Amino acid sequence: MRSERARLILSEEEHYFHHDRIFLNNPAVMQGMGMAPLVIMATTGRKAMLLAVAVAMLLTPTRVLCSLLLQKVRQPLLRAGVYCGVSAAVYIVVWLLMRDFFGNDMLTLGLYLPLLVVDPLVIYRHGRVAEPVRKAFSKGLRITLGYGLVLMITGCLRELLSLGTIFDNRIFDMSLLPVATSPAGGFLLIGVVFAVWRSIGNAWRRYLEQEAKKKA
Amino acid sequence: MSAVISAVATFFVYAVMATFAQNAVFARGMGVSRLVQLVGDDDTSSLLFGSLLSVICVLSAPLTWGIGILLRNFSYRAAVRPLIFVACSFLICGALWLLFTRVEKIPYRLRLRAMLPNAGFNTCVLGTLLASTVQRFTLAQTLGFALGSGVGYLIAVLMVGEARRRLRSNSVPKPFRGLPIVMIYIGILAMAIYGFTGHMIAI
Repeated sequence: MRSERARLILSEEEHYFHHDRIFLNNPAVMQGMGMAPLVIMATTGRKAMLLAVAVAMLLTPTRVLCSLLLQKVRQPLLRAGVYCGVSAAVYIVVWLLMRDFFGNDMLTLGLYLPLLVVDPLVIYRHGRVAEPVRKAFSKGLRITLGYGLVLMITGCLRELLSLGTIFDNRIFDMSLLPVATSPAGGFLLIGVVFAVWRSIGNAWRRYLEQEAKKKA
Repeated sequence: MSAVISAVATFFVYAVMATFAQNAVFARGMGVSRLVQLVGDDDTSSLLFGSLLSVICVLSAPLTWGIGILLRNFSYRAAVRPLIFVACSFLICGALWLLFTRVEKIPYRLRLRAMLPNAGFNTCVLGTLLASTVQRFTLAQTLGFALGSGVGYLIAVLMVGEARRRLRSNSVPKPFRGLPIVMIYIGILAMAIYGFTGHMIAI
């Protein structure tokens, strides 16, 4: 990387690192949002993909609608109630669409699909000041991408370790870590994935700093 | 008389089951995101938050149990349940908010009132209400399960909170500090519970 570009990134560090919801400030990896579906349901690539699709259809519309509705509402309980209510109303549409597209596959997600309605990933903004619609839209999309990426990595890794397959395609004929499908295995594996993710993020920051120090 | 004793026994069996074998955090992964935030937040009392969450669970449970019965023959019940259950939680939270605002004798009422939005709307409360409806529990089973889930969550929060000091130790490798080590710690506790109960998928 050219040192000018590294210096530019570091000069706008807050903007660059804070706004990157996909890698450096991923809401799941950094703030622990969306843990319930990730730990319990993202046990295979297919389930992870279904969850990612549901989040994609739920998160951004909820955020945009709430941004429109809650500009002048300050009462915390009312804000939380409206946020969850809007999310649950959007969920009705999501449920109908997913039933049409995925049929019975949707049932494999059990209760963890409706639980997205109150997940901090979707509703955490209720405790903050209202954001403009455009910002809500762009942030919603970036968070969706970031969370979808974590879901897919975790789902495929757990499927590979527990069944030896990825999206039902056999990679090897043994189960390396059968516990990976259980909630306990999910917690352990996610802990390790997050640690590796954070290490890579820190290494990237150090690399930028070194590049910025180089003389042009 | 035997029906009452049977209902009380069922209530306690389900409460104990939901507290330990089907613990909301360790077996069902519910409320983990909130728990992680709570553990890192020195201003919010874990004990008060967990207690309030238990109260909201128990008070919402009879409402959602009744609505669950009414919706049994409705084709789109799975789609509308979250909306209706969120509305039930909102009603209960609203009533508690009024109580904490009007009755000055309640200890910690202002702190409790500030915690209401996060304690009332989270995956532990909604997950508990949905699980007991989907599994068509009786009223006694629903109340026992709701109380047990709340108490189980409280125990999990206190256990993770207690370990927080040790998890901040310098002997923890740097990349694992913070959220990753908390997740691994919860995973180890979950495995310890499997040692007593064996593991089965909760829902």
